[in-house]
Amino acid sequence: MKTILVSLNEATRTVNSGRHKITLLDNINLNVEEGEFISLMGPSGSGKSTLLNCIGMLDNFTDGGYTFLGEPVHSMKEKNRSKLYKEYIGFVFQAYHLIDELTVYENIETPLLYKNVKSSERKAMVADMLDRFNIVGKKDLFPVQLSGGQQQLVGIARALIGQPKLILADEPTGNLNSKQSEEIMELFAQLNKEGVTIIQATHSESNAAYGSRIINLLDGKIV
Amino acid sequence: MIRNYFKIAWRNLMKHKVFSLINIIGLIIGLSASFVIGLMIYYDATFDTFHKDKDRIYRVVTDLTSPEATFSIPGVTLALGDAITENSNFETVSGFYIERPSKVENRELNSEFKWPNFVIFADANYFKIFDYKFLAGNTSEILASPNNVILTENRASDYFPNTKPSDIIGKTLVYNDSLHITVTGIVENFKERTDFVFEEFISHSTILQTRLREDFLNKNWNNTNDASQLFVKVTSNADLSAIQNRLDNLAKEHQDEESKKYGDEQQFTLQPLGDIHFNEKYGIYDWSKGQASKSLLTNLALVAIFLLVLGCINFINLNTAQASQRAKEIGIRKTLGSSRKQLIGQFMGETFLLVLVSAVLSLLLSRWLINVFSDFVPEGLSYELMKSPLIILGIAVLLLLVTFLSGFYPALVLSKFNTVSVLKNHLAVGNKKVKLRKFLTVFQFSIAQVFVIATLLVGQQINFLLETDMGFKTDAIVSVYSPRAEREISKKELYAEKLRAIPEIKSISIGGHAPASISTNSSSVTYNNGDNEVNLDLQFIFGDVNYAKVFELDLIAGRTIRNDTVKELVINETCRKRLGFKSPDEAIGKTVLLGDQSVPIVGVMADFFQRSLRSDIKPMAYRGDWYLPDWSQFQAVHIAFQNESSADFKGTLSKIENTYKTVYTETDDYRVEFLDETIQKFYNREQKMSKLLNWATGLSILISCLGLLGLVIYTTNRRVKEIGVRKVLGASLLQINALLCKEFLILVAIAFVIAAPIAYYGINNWLQDFAYKTSINFWVFLVSGLAMIVFALLVISVKTLQAANANPVDSLRSE
Repeated sequence: MKTILVSLNEATRTVNSGRHKITLLDNINLNVEEGEFISLMGPSGSGKSTLLNCIGMLDNFTDGGYTFLGEPVHSMKEKNRSKLYKEYIGFVFQAYHLIDELTVYENIETPLLYKNVKSSERKAMVADMLDRFNIVGKKDLFPVQLSGGQQQLVGIARALIGQPKLILADEPTGNLNSKQSEEIMELFAQLNKEGVTIIQATHSESNAAYGSRIINLLDGKIV
Repeated sequence: MIRNYFKIAWRNLMKHKVFSLINIIGLIIGLSASFVIGLMIYYDATFDTFHKDKDRIYRVVTDLTSPEATFSIPGVTLALGDAITENSNFETVSGFYIERPSKVENRELNSEFKWPNFVIFADANYFKIFDYKFLAGNTSEILASPNNVILTENRASDYFPNTKPSDIIGKTLVYNDSLHITVTGIVENFKERTDFVFEEFISHSTILQTRLREDFLNKNWNNTNDASQLFVKVTSNADLSAIQNRLDNLAKEHQDEESKKYGDEQQFTLQPLGDIHFNEKYGIYDWSKGQASKSLLTNLALVAIFLLVLGCINFINLNTAQASQRAKEIGIRKTLGSSRKQLIGQFMGETFLLVLVSAVLSLLLSRWLINVFSDFVPEGLSYELMKSPLIILGIAVLLLLVTFLSGFYPALVLSKFNTVSVLKNHLAVGNKKVKLRKFLTVFQFSIAQVFVIATLLVGQQINFLLETDMGFKTDAIVSVYSPRAEREISKKELYAEKLRAIPEIKSISIGGHAPASISTNSSSVTYNNGDNEVNLDLQFIFGDVNYAKVFELDLIAGRTIRNDTVKELVINETCRKRLGFKSPDEAIGKTVLLGDQSVPIVGVMADFFQRSLRSDIKPMAYRGDWYLPDWSQFQAVHIAFQNESSADFKGTLSKIENTYKTVYTETDDYRVEFLDETIQKFYNREQKMSKLLNWATGLSILISCLGLLGLVIYTTNRRVKEIGVRKVLGASLLQINALLCKEFLILVAIAFVIAAPIAYYGINNWLQDFAYKTSINFWVFLVSGLAMIVFALLVISVKTLQAANANPVDSLRSE
């Protein structure tokens, strides 16, 4: 039996907007096993990003239970949550979100700094990653000097460097053309084969098809 | 990690060059000012801190109070020393007497030294209180017998060049032609900063062979002299209040009948050793060095703090304003696993880097600043002092403090951003932060505004001081002082006679000091009008019959003195009123009692200022040289020039000097004073303050305007789209500029409203020092307020005009 990575039990997120209470996520029940490739689909505002952010611990569920690898995230202290997060989760964004002031090399290296990895080890790991993504020649360039597809490659490389169990990708191809999209999705599929669990949010049917399971969201509910 | 931070910090610094420059300039100004001023404070605070048991050493000083005034004298009456020696509270009591010999000869070498300074008559107790290192001589019997002297190393090398200390012992020096004194010791000069600059220590008992013999044989209680110094070292468990009681009782016990009658009192107090360097009331031994002024140092420290705070505020302002630009990086870092603490650390690191860069530049700048501010910087202060451990530590602490002050708040703001909203570009700029920035800007401008108003008002007062008619002629008058030792008048008369041959000279008078000088000579006079007795302290100016003519003193009633030696007084109006005469004419012919002599009043002159305008006009009288030929009060020849223009001044001056040389052939003690310069010197302190204010004003305006510029650049950049839309809708360049300037000008205006009362209060306080002062004018405030607004407007317009001028197509397309 495979390990359950993420388990949501009636997870809910509400926010107050003026006098109104808006429910962004409504009693979500979801189990994600290790090695799955899940595609979240739904129209804008259906709660895809919110769900990703909450699973990724950037946001919190306001109600319900969330366990990650058997540990109850909802009742965890900030410090432990951050530790868990640093250890197991990598993020990929639609807008890449590379740090403009850092080179490709340094961008990829940054998560390791926060994990207190030793300098020599860091060098080796970043070099491996550059090699694997074929961007060794670009390691000293700054993000603005790269194309969108290349930036997203760096973004993924950065997400992977910490050897996470789970990659959360929020419309990873939203800013890319179709050819670049395809390459990125192929890469995700490849990573999934190597054992990384992936949850992606997407608008595109074809991208969703790369996943092993599709979850449809509408108005904060799984349909 | 740290390297990564520094890398990012450096790249950010380079990316936002204008902002970085503004930050660095602000910090440099604040830091340089702090360094230099800190150095000065350190220099002055470390005087005489090296003495053993320094906390137990005191100087006994005297305050003489009369109903009219208080005189503070660093010395004590000769009798006091003996009276307190037997007291268990004192470990050591050492009296010494400062006396400059007129001549010291080393007859072996045939060398002669005139008026050596810093010579004291002291005993072994002096060396018990102050620990000198003996290079040679017997340390068990220090100055035990008369006619012994101990020299410092420096002085010894003057008297006995190229001689080993041990070889000097036993040699003889001849003081004042008659005293044969044997050198019994050589001590090392104090290596550290000290006000104890004495170079020659003659055994105290030798004083009985000098002109002071009578004074020391019959020590009395009602004569106090600066030269008679008394130091005590109290025991470690001494009861200071008991000592003070004892001193008070002694003063009371020995108050004489006359003092009781007129309410004169003397009080002895213990002045701590550490106070000597700072207390201007009692002074230090080397007058040429200028004393540390606590108030000046405090003012300087305040200036430094203000400039530093302004720099920090710039930093806070610009960095919080820039926050949204850094927001994305922060969001990403958070998703990559950075904790808030790490982020704060990163930003503090960046701040520290900036502060460090500024500090290095400031250190270089300080070197130059020490020269620029030579008026304030004590002479002995050198840049080398920067190397002392305490200063280095102080700088380190200061840098950390500045880093914390300027970095902490922005770091807090930046690290607080919500990751999700930042990454979604939903960054709401909190209203609170805008308010804080506005508050800080107002604060900055308030400081600058206070400085501007203060500068104008102080300048006005100084102008007033210098322009005010002193009441006598001050231009084109020089005073040539006779050699210090000269007590007779014949040579002065010869000199004056020879000067009369110079055609450029209008008139000549032999006399004492000029009507306005820093010296005073006063006595108590009594006038009995039949009903009651008036007693007052009367100051004198001494002069021959020409004195009033040379200085153009204004005679209101009666006549001037008939000849140089007749016992007559010409009193001033203030004196006339105080003595109770209703009109000037009434005073003529009355006699006042001066000591035991009755002296007639023969004239009344108009009041003139005898000193700076800080002090009131005191009762004063003009009199001749009464005790000729035994003793002359005349020390100078005052010369009024024919021509007031300075064209031929130089030629005339050199003639005056040449004539001096023909009269005084064997001395080169030519001293000349220009009356207008003497008067300007009264206001040295004010001039210094004005210079300081000018700098403070300039710098605070600079920093504040830089800060404002930064904010304007930031705000305008954010409103580019709005400007574009407004332009498309038909707004003119001027309208847009007005719109952009408005919000900043309001801040400057608020600052003015805050600053004006503060400046008014401060200046009003300062003016209380002056007996005569300008009125604080309304227009000064108006002008300075307007000036500030114009400054701000200029700075703002630099950016806003550029923004308003931009083609709206460009700014709108990017959206």
